[in-house]
Amino acid sequence: MSVTFEETGEFALPLPRHPAQPADELTGEDLARSRDRARVLAARGRSSRWFLLWLLVGPGILAMLGENDGPSMISYAATGAAYGLGFFLPFIIVTFAMAIVCQEMCMRVGAVTHRGYGQLVIERYGRAWGWLAAGDLVFTNLVTLIAEFVAIRVGLAFFNLGAGVAALLGVALVLMAQSGGRYWRWERIVLGLAVFNGLFLLSAVLVKPSAGHIAHAFLTFAPLPHGGFNEILLLLASTIGATVTPWMIFFQQSASADKGLTPGDLTHGRIDTVIGGVLAAVFGCGALVAGAALLGHGGASVDGLAGAGFPEALRRVDGNAVGALFALGLIEAGAVAILTISASTGYAIGECTGASSSFNRSLAEARSFYSANVLVAVIAAAVILIPGVPLLSIALNANVLATVLLPVTLVFMVMLANDRQLMGRFRNGRATNLAVGVTVAVVAVCGAAYGIDSFLLQVHLIG
Amino acid sequence: MRSEPRTPQPPALDEELFMALERDQLVAGRHRALAPARLSARARGALWALRIFVLLVGAMVIYTFFAQL
Repeated sequence: MSVTFEETGEFALPLPRHPAQPADELTGEDLARSRDRARVLAARGRSSRWFLLWLLVGPGILAMLGENDGPSMISYAATGAAYGLGFFLPFIIVTFAMAIVCQEMCMRVGAVTHRGYGQLVIERYGRAWGWLAAGDLVFTNLVTLIAEFVAIRVGLAFFNLGAGVAALLGVALVLMAQSGGRYWRWERIVLGLAVFNGLFLLSAVLVKPSAGHIAHAFLTFAPLPHGGFNEILLLLASTIGATVTPWMIFFQQSASADKGLTPGDLTHGRIDTVIGGVLAAVFGCGALVAGAALLGHGGASVDGLAGAGFPEALRRVDGNAVGALFALGLIEAGAVAILTISASTGYAIGECTGASSSFNRSLAEARSFYSANVLVAVIAAAVILIPGVPLLSIALNANVLATVLLPVTLVFMVMLANDRQLMGRFRNGRATNLAVGVTVAVVAVCGAAYGIDSFLLQVHLIG
Repeated sequence: MRSEPRTPQPPALDEELFMALERDQLVAGRHRALAPARLSARARGALWALRIFVLLVGAMVIYTFFAQL
């Protein structure tokens, strides 16, 4: 048999790139993944460009639209309601550009190494770092998941449905989506739901914004937001936290490996990530533009998480259709995020414990993976049912906490993507390192500045 | 006449399907541990410093959250 030598990444040694040997021990996960890969190879062989793209998109779009979650959309709408069309409209585009750079790295590392983030950190840098990263992730995911259930509750409140329905809906979705034992099936269900993130764009169109004001905001980043230093820091940190988060890093790398992406699929993986980033930025801007319709109508005082909040305020100002679309959008945003965030928790725990962590496994084969998936969703659902829990504060602090803890996760991601032994010729280039370096610095400074400033204000060390 | 009992065969695998995977994509390949990376003392120190800093700021955010309830 002729063997072609090519750098495939692992240890960067010129490994013989030959097909798998039947002598290797096989599992159902291998067979499921090989079916998906066979379809990719067949599409590539037939030069079916669009079908190939359809087969290979998924993790990037899901990571990006998953991060256009309930609290993020409420945060964008609140920013629009308080400040109108100005600095934060183009700033959303900037933050998604940062997210694309980070997520492309995750996809690339997953496709080249076929391993998730947690597993790689443990194997390359030690168990302590892996568990610390997973610990951060589980904690921030739990807080964020509570906020997702709150968002669903806000959306359902518009249709006079209560917290119990929101809790049941979220948990039922998690159970239903993972019942097939195939990554492909799970991914397509979540992608189908994620399409409805476009409802925010539709509601923005229906409020009939001024095209001139939008163009002015994009071209000049003006008007700049007014307000106190701490308030601006909170807005910056929560907007960044609404676009780049630890769970996205865990999720896209693990999902790329679970999907079976290879170095040969990197171009499609990049397209997937860019499509996801562009869609998420457009829909996020849609939420801000819709919220800006409340400027001058007491929008800044709308309590977005009390009762029906923004959907109800939009209904009063722009009619029932806009309110209903925004409410449905919030239900979708919360639902997709519950699925992707709980999946990232399952991946992280599975990778750190060494247990099976793949949607291509059956329930019996990957109990800890599926249990972690469901357990975090159930805990978060239970919290929103407790009377008197400060849901508004939890939702607002979820993004900030994610921003504060993000730098360590990102630094390890950069180290992995630059690991010559691991990535070989697929390691980061200078331009990528520069872009990621700037992203890490911005995230670290904004998160830390807000955290420290709020603390000093709270303990009255500054006025 | 009684036939000899046969050794059970592993389930037949579609070889063409199996060839669609790279060797290190197999579960067995993915579970093969990688060698640990060697970090300099300075890099380890910088990582721990960042970690402690992030935990301190995280604690401040959590304190502020509870104090504002």
